[in-house]
Amino acid sequence: MKPLWRMAVGGALIAATALTGAAADAFERADGEKILVVVGRQPVPILDPSVKYDASIRTMQQALYDALLKYEGTPPQVKPWLAESWSASDDGLVWTFKLVKNAKFHNGDPVDAEAVRFSFERTLKLNKGPAWMLNAFLKPENIKVVDSNTIQFTLDRPYSPFVSFLPWWYIMNPKQVMANEVDGDSGQKWMIEHEAGSGPFKLKRFEQGKLYEVARVKDYWKGFPYPGDPIGGVIYKLIRESAAQRAALIRGEADIVLGLSADEFDQVAKMKGIDTSTQPALTAFGLKFNTQGKFMSDINLRKAVAYAFDYDSFNKIYNGRATLQTSPFTDNVKGKIEVPGMPRRDLAKAKEYLAKSQWPDGGIELEYVYVQGFEEERKMGLVLIDNLKDINITVKMVPLTWPNMVARGSKKETSPDMMAIFATPASTDPDAVAIQYHPSSWGKYFGTHFYEDPELTKLIDEARFTIDWDVRAKLYAEIQKMIVAAQPEIFGMMRERHIAYRDYVKGFAYSPVRMTTEIDYYPLYIGK
Amino acid sequence: MLLFLLRRSLFMVGMLFALLIITFVISHVAPGDPAALAAGPDASAEMIETIRKEHGLDKPLPQQFLIYVGGVLQGDFGNSIHTGREVVDDLVRFFPATFELVLASILFAILLGVPLGVLSAVKQNTWIDHVTRVFSVSGVGVPMFWLGLMLQLFFALQLGWFPLGGQLDMMTDPPAPITHLYTVDSILRGQFDVTLEALRHLVLPALSLCFPALASIIRVNRAEMLETLNQDYITNARAQGISPLRIVGLYALKNAMLPTLAMIGLRFGWMLGGTVLVETVFDWPGVGLYAVQTAVSSDFEPIMAVTVLLGFCFMVANFVIDIVYGWLDPRVRGTT
Repeated sequence: MKPLWRMAVGGALIAATALTGAAADAFERADGEKILVVVGRQPVPILDPSVKYDASIRTMQQALYDALLKYEGTPPQVKPWLAESWSASDDGLVWTFKLVKNAKFHNGDPVDAEAVRFSFERTLKLNKGPAWMLNAFLKPENIKVVDSNTIQFTLDRPYSPFVSFLPWWYIMNPKQVMANEVDGDSGQKWMIEHEAGSGPFKLKRFEQGKLYEVARVKDYWKGFPYPGDPIGGVIYKLIRESAAQRAALIRGEADIVLGLSADEFDQVAKMKGIDTSTQPALTAFGLKFNTQGKFMSDINLRKAVAYAFDYDSFNKIYNGRATLQTSPFTDNVKGKIEVPGMPRRDLAKAKEYLAKSQWPDGGIELEYVYVQGFEEERKMGLVLIDNLKDINITVKMVPLTWPNMVARGSKKETSPDMMAIFATPASTDPDAVAIQYHPSSWGKYFGTHFYEDPELTKLIDEARFTIDWDVRAKLYAEIQKMIVAAQPEIFGMMRERHIAYRDYVKGFAYSPVRMTTEIDYYPLYIGK
Repeated sequence: MLLFLLRRSLFMVGMLFALLIITFVISHVAPGDPAALAAGPDASAEMIETIRKEHGLDKPLPQQFLIYVGGVLQGDFGNSIHTGREVVDDLVRFFPATFELVLASILFAILLGVPLGVLSAVKQNTWIDHVTRVFSVSGVGVPMFWLGLMLQLFFALQLGWFPLGGQLDMMTDPPAPITHLYTVDSILRGQFDVTLEALRHLVLPALSLCFPALASIIRVNRAEMLETLNQDYITNARAQGISPLRIVGLYALKNAMLPTLAMIGLRFGWMLGGTVLVETVFDWPGVGLYAVQTAVSSDFEPIMAVTVLLGFCFMVANFVIDIVYGWLDPRVRGTT
């Protein structure tokens, strides 16, 4: 071998040795502390609790901030958090909350009633993010500081779901926020990548598009549900590809992965050293009909399609991890009843309804719009094609990007005959689902049915402004039956949520009220 | 030469302005209401209107265009409607990663492609030539996305030689920025362990990205070398007893490099576009990934900025190639 070649080969070997490394097989450590690595595909573009929320944003907000109340468990229960107790006036207008006395922000400032007032006022005035939950019933001037540990809200009118939304209204430190205000922006620019919270974690790194790290607050005012220091912090790392997420979990580079496909989840679930969580979600999947469109305005055609559809296909598509809806309300929604006569595949009934429709012999083409690249929704389209062939109806499958789908569904003139929609209500209060069938939801992604029934609308309004739960429960039972009878959609299924994690991850607590990839870092620790 | 440069510069400015118009028009006629998407699924009409006003989307289109162009001329690409962050800040954050990846890929492609093309031509119709040709044909056909996944599964998951993705390990702090290129900055800062780590992360995405360019360079270089090696002046050089290495390396390669250079310029631009796929597979935090994220949420300002930026880079690459071309071949200077 000539010297030049020898040098080249030697150099290549040295470089290869230096560049390659052994696979990791355990959690990360920083300064001797165990760091939990959560892998997901959705970035956290912004942290400001007044401006935006989605699954990944809210996961981070919940780690950094506290709210007056918090959802926990299955079925989800609203539990005291910053508020140790609360009461409502008999007329349901005045709500008074007593705050805990030992809560403090990460900079040491106390969490007092003024901070609560400031936070609610900021969110309402910016009119973004979670503002929609309360802005129709609560004015900033009607939030009153009674004393440093007591805050009072006076609503414009009784609004029963009020408490159910409070877990999503996080409390910010007014001094920190206002110290960073620029040109009257209420600190919005600063709050994109900084926090002013009192939560169980504080922000350590915000590397946009890569990872986000939070460090555990050792002297967190509420303490932690485990002894000692079994965790130093959490890194939320972005890995977009499902296959790469699976690989990261197997290699031990990720401790929890949030975006596996159904098949990949099944593969890793059988592996040694990996645990899984499979739980029913609050999310409902339905095929929304445009009830003001040319074809689907015909109730008999809607019924015909609903009875022609093979509901068992949902379970086949999701490898057995789907539960059929027995009401427009999913299982963990308060006041949900089993509605009698929920359509299931019955070809004779489908033909019977079709015969009563304007198209007794079929011979029409219906458009099915779904999210481009969403394999499960594509398969549902294929099932539709196959099933509706039996009643002589053809289906045109139209894949669209989500923004284009939302745009199509925003007007009754352009909303397609059928649209595949997953909808997660923001709270467990029945109003959060019932309102989807109210004209105020028309044009929103869950309101692409454009269903109108003045009697139903009246009932929904009545139920949301009634205080007595027993009365409300009866109203919601009636509302569920009316919605099913109107068939504004194929009531589909509740997809189970699956999360895979290394077996040394302990304390994982699921709550169906969270969004699909939203998890609570607070109870998690590493038991190894 | 000066006139040539001036003509090309003016042409580039015109092209950039045309690109601005096209991206603006396409972004604004595309279906979808960015304000509604940014406001969230439950937002009221009033909340959507608040966001629309805040971002000037309530103004007539021509006025929006003038504001946009005015901003771009001052280096202001507006704010993301989803995050509120300034787009320029995002580009400064993400573009260096893409540039580093493309630079590494083009270097791989040139350093491997040119010698292989020459070798293939010199050893025409031998097994070396056949293997190289099969390699180059498959290189053009193999999708980058698939190749990236395969490399990832084999070299990262199976063998564990390279990381699955990202630019650095999770617990490693990036070097303090000088050029914003991790490999360069870590060398300049004397953090050689970080350099090695950055290189480990760079290998698989750069290989995936460079593969089509590598194949094209081999093909073009081989074809040009074959043609050049049959020229009279090469025969003359051989007759004069000049060493084969000198003939191939100096006389033939210089002429054969002209079309290869053009190919490299084009490929550089295509690579910038191709990073979208590779960055997604390897979670490489560059503008490609940024573009995907903003595109799926109809976030106009970043989409337009990324398009203009990549278009600008493509033009600059071709501009440089034109200059080199003109320098190597004086006949070109008068024709464009």
